[in-house]
Parts: sequence; C-alpha cells; structure tokens
Amino acid sequence: MNIQDNYQKNKKNIFFSENKDIQTYREKLINIFENDRFDKKNNESLKNINLKNFFDFKYKYLISEETSVINNNQENSYSIVSVNGQCLSYKDDKIEITKILDEDYIDFSKNDIIENNDHFVNLNSLFLNSGFKILIKKNNNIKIKISNIITDDDLTIFQKNNYICEEGSSLNLIEEYENKNNSTSNILNVIKLEKNSQLNHFLIQDNSSNHNLIITTHSSVKKDSTYTQKVYNFSEGYVRNFHYSELKEANSEADLQGIFFLKDNNTSNNKTYVKHLAEDCKSNQVYKGILNDRSKATYFSNTHVDQVAQKTEGYQLSKGILLSDNASYFSKPELKIYADDVKCSHGSTIGPIDENAIFYLRSRGMSKIAATKILISSFINEELSSIDNEQMSEIIQKKLVRYLSKVK
Amino acid sequence: MFLEIKDLSVKIENKNILKSLNLNINKGEVHAIMGPNGSGKSTLANVLAGKEDYEILNGSINFKDNDLFDLNIEERAQEGMFLAFQYPVEIPGVNITPFLHSAINSKRKRMNEEEIDNLSFAKLLKSKASDLGINIDMLKRSVNTGFSGGEKKRYEILQMSILNPDLAILDETDSGLDIDALKIVTDGVNKLKTKDNSFLIITHYQKLLDYIKPDYVHVMVNGSIVKSGGSEIAAEIEKDGFQKFQ
Ligand SMILES: Nc1ncnc2c1ncn2[C@@H]1O[C@H](COP(=O)(O)OP(=O)(O)OP(=O)(O)O)[C@@H](O)[C@H]1O
Ligand SMILES: [Mg+2]
Repeated sequence: MNIQDNYQKNKKNIFFSENKDIQTYREKLINIFENDRFDKKNNESLKNINLKNFFDFKYKYLISEETSVINNNQENSYSIVSVNGQCLSYKDDKIEITKILDEDYIDFSKNDIIENNDHFVNLNSLFLNSGFKILIKKNNNIKIKISNIITDDDLTIFQKNNYICEEGSSLNLIEEYENKNNSTSNILNVIKLEKNSQLNHFLIQDNSSNHNLIITTHSSVKKDSTYTQKVYNFSEGYVRNFHYSELKEANSEADLQGIFFLKDNNTSNNKTYVKHLAEDCKSNQVYKGILNDRSKATYFSNTHVDQVAQKTEGYQLSKGILLSDNASYFSKPELKIYADDVKCSHGSTIGPIDENAIFYLRSRGMSKIAATKILISSFINEELSSIDNEQMSEIIQKKLVRYLSKVK
Repeated sequence: MFLEIKDLSVKIENKNILKSLNLNINKGEVHAIMGPNGSGKSTLANVLAGKEDYEILNGSINFKDNDLFDLNIEERAQEGMFLAFQYPVEIPGVNITPFLHSAINSKRKRMNEEEIDNLSFAKLLKSKASDLGINIDMLKRSVNTGFSGGEKKRYEILQMSILNPDLAILDETDSGLDIDALKIVTDGVNKLKTKDNSFLIITHYQKLLDYIKPDYVHVMVNGSIVKSGGSEIAAEIEKDGFQKFQ
C-alpha cells in the first residue's frame, strides 16, 4: 500500500489528524515520499534498509489494557513503565508528565537540523500514534528510569516524546528497550535543555531479532548546559540510532556516545550530528562497534560549526572490531566548519582484532577464545569503567557476558 | 631429550629465514645464542612459541616428548614454554592481574593442579613484582602500555617468574636495561634456575652472560648454527665480531 493510502486509512488513530496546520504539514511529507526516488546510495537514512519492510508496512496500533505505571518510591527518583508508547499523566512539585500537544508537534516540525530526507523521522511525524511529555521543573535534581513495553505482535509504534529540563535542573534518564515481539518502534525524542541544566541520557537496547527499533533524538542545548547520551545496543534485531544535537547558546556541550554489539545477520545504522551555533561550545561523538558473523553497521558522524561559533571544540571518533571476515562496518566522518577559531578532529579505526596481542596473550597460556574475549572487553573498557551508576554498570556487564558467550 | 630441533627450515613471505637448523637442549642447561642482526634468532624464538605467520618447510621439534607442531600456542605455554619477547606488545585496556591469573590457572588445569584463588594470586604477583623492583602502581596499568623499554623487559621477567616455565626463551631481554636493572633481572633468572628447567638466551652482549652463566654458546649466522661451544665463544665475538663466522 502506498504511504498516502496507508495514512488515509488509519487516520482515526493517528494523533492530531484533525488539526488543519498539521494536515498541511503532513501533505507536504506525503509529497516528499511520493516524489523521492529512494536514493539508497546518497540518502544516509536508507543505507542497509529493506525499503519494503519499512515503507510498505501494515499499520497496526492499539492502546493496551495494561496501563502504564509511574512510581516515585525514593525521593527525586521515578520509575516509569510506558506501554505501547503511552504514559499516564502525573504531576508533583518537581516533575510533570502529560500528553504531547499539537503545539509541541508544530514546534518540532520547524526544526531545521534534521533534513527532510530522513524518511524515518518523516514517517514518525506522519503516523504519530503515541508519546508523552516530561517536564523537569527549575533547580530539581531528578532520576527517571523508563521501561518501554510493547504488548502485541505486529504493532507499528510511532512515538514522540518531549523532555524539557528547566533552568538549573538536572536529569539522569535511563531508557530500557527490551522487547521480544514482532513489532516496530519508531521513536523520536525531542529534548530541550534550558540554561544551566544537565541531562545524562542512557539508552539500553536489547530487543529480540524480530523487533525493529528506530530511535532518533533531537536535543537543543542552551547556555551552560550539557547533554550526554550513551547508547548500548545489544539488540538481536535491527536498530537505528540517529541522534542530532544543536548547541544553541554559549558554553553548552553535547556528548553523543554509542557502543553496538552485533552478530548473525543483524544490522545497525548509526548517525550523530552536532550543530555548533554559539561560541565556546564542546562536542564529542564517539561510536564503537563489535561485529561478528555476517553483521553490518554504518556510522555517520557530523560536526557543523556555524560562522559565529568561535572557540568550538569538536571531536569525532569511530572504532570497530570485525570478528569475522563477513562482517562489515562503514563509517564516514564529516566536518563542516565556517568559523576560523576552532579545534576539531576526527578519527576512524576499523579492523580485525589485533593478532599480535592475541599471540602475546596465548603465549602465556590463555586460550584463543579467552584472549579474544579479554581483548573485546578491553576495547570498550574505557566506556564501561566510566559508567558511574552501579546498577547500570551491572546490567551492561551481564549483557556483555551474554554477547561474549556467543563469540567462538 | 628435553628440546630437540632437527633440520629446521622456515620461511616467511617467500624468504627462507631458518636453514636446516639443529639444536638440542637438555633439562637443567642454559644455552645462549648470539648472532648478527637479521640472522633469524627471533624467528626461531617465535617458531618455538607457535607464532603462525611462518611456513615450516622442513624439520621437526620435540619438546618434553611432544611433537611441538601438534601443540597450539597456548598448549605450548601450558606445557612449560615461555618466551620473553624482544618487543613486547602494548595491550591497552588489559590489566596484568586478571590476564596472568587466567593464564596461570589454565596451565595448572592442564597439569591437573589446583587453581590459584584471587587473593593468593594477588599476593604472589605483588611479592614477585617487589623482588624485581617493579612498582605496585605499574601493576594497575594496562599490559606494556606506555612502558619504557626497560620496564617492558622487567615486566616480561615478572610474568616468567610467575609462570615458572620449564623452558624459558629470553629474546634480547638485556637490551634496554640499565646496569642496575640488568643485575635485578638476571638475579631473578638465577633464582628461578633449577636442575629441572632450561634457558635459551638470545643476546648480542657478553655482559649478560657474565651474570647468567651459559653451559653452551651457539653462533647463528644466516639462519643456521655455525658454531657451538662454551662461554669462550662469547668472548671471541665480543673481541672480533661475527666476521670470521660468516
Ligand atoms: N614478517 C616478515 N616478513 C618478511 N621478512 C621478515 C618477517 N619477519 C622477519 N623477517 C626477516 O627475517 C629475518 C630474520 O629476522 P629476525 O627478527 O629473526 O632476526 P634477529 O636475528 O632476531 O635480528 P635482531 O638481532 O636484529 O633482533 C630478517 O631479515 C627479517 O627482516
Ligand atoms: Mg631479534
């Protein structure tokens, strides 16, 4: 079915389909789909993508009987179970959880950092059927853990979440994606950091092989604020991590990091994009991948430095270990610099595991497999040892052990 | 026979490096090999340790009643072979404690000995390190990473003294060591020496052989042993170089 018919047919459970302005915007999106030649070569959002699976899909959404849960057991600490992309509303003197509104949607549609040709974001905007908005009030220091649950097979979740950290606030956000059913989640996180605020964002992705996860973040960061994102992808199913960040005011920072662990026939596509729009800002984009069997990955990293963004520091790094001759990892760093006083760098090293190191370890009596495992762990040692949350670090260690147990 | 190398010929990338090399080492003996740069000394050491880049054209190696070529790299180590590398590799992110602990336990397992627990191993490591004048802080760092040349060599000997091998091959362990370190390291070797283990020492300098007394000295030129004898050979080389052996 083409996108237009698919949309018309399912309109009734798509958000904001009655809003005139949004209708107009969506018509524009539909036009993009109809006129695009789906140029897999040049469109980063289409690399390694089975077009039929994602763009010629059967739409299905339902609001579950199981309702979402919000718990505030410890002071300043909340745990949320979101079901099929929905979350109950909640309010206290520190945080507020509500539905997303037309105006949030329209506000996002005006962003100019995510190109119009990111078809997955367009799909999300078109078929939006779930999502919520979380506001952290001024000067609060909050921890939130969100488990994203999907209840049924064959669901197509199109979810948009808004996070707003008000001035002086700080949020530690852990998101868990661990789904075992045959469904597709397309999630867009829109994040706003007001002055002097902080967000530490962890994403743990561990879906089964029949679940597709497409996750996109758009963060905009104001004066003296820092957005840090750490993605751990252990999924056996397809995952797309595309994360965009705008440093809008002076002395702001974005740190976008990811590690992915792939095996079998799995694929993962990754992109980070930081736009420096003010002076004295810093960014860091580091992705590391371990690829076994016939798995495939792409990583595009981009630093864009606007003309006014003097004294920018931008750093990009991509590293990969290929555990099999049939695995492949394509990485492409890009720098666009329009200011003259900047420090930017990028690097990329992808290859098989260091044979000399294996020989050294084996020559002491360690088995080949034990040596391989210890070298894989060492490859990400820096990232793992820098996790300052004990519970998180335990979770990640366990998943790493599980991944390593399949390495032969 | 403890180690018997017979008629060994080895090539790498279309280049013949070892040519019909013969060498026998008995239990409890110390052998030294001297030879000009590029004569194939490290190649011999690597072939013994099991490095897979080489093509064995001919010959046999017997080690403790095993056909060495039947054993893979780690099995050789577990059987008691140890190579102190000329150029130890840096392995960022890998710490010596878990790595060497796992190595020693795989050796013990093969020998049907009881495994060493964490605490006893940590103690053993600390005490051996202090014998060799290795700072405890260095044990917290990644294997060889950012170590000075001399530190790397000491660290090799530390690993050797923990694994307590039957046959230790020291490939130019003396080069890069200052005079005090040379004394400490050779003391370490001499302490380890018993009537049941053997050493194969590759060196360019007679100095080392003043500290570790070899039973035999061999001269290796162009991939073969061209002369064998006692420590007087080392003195000859020190005086006249390799010219007359070529
Ligand atoms: N991977 C390789 N490819 C090609 N040639 C090699 C390779 N490894 C070693 N060689 C060559 O084999 C020869 C012997 O090298 P080897 O390292 O065994 O010498 P050596 O006697 O240990 O020398 P030195 O005293 O300088 O340490 C040299 O000519 C070297 O260039
Ligand atoms: Mg050498």
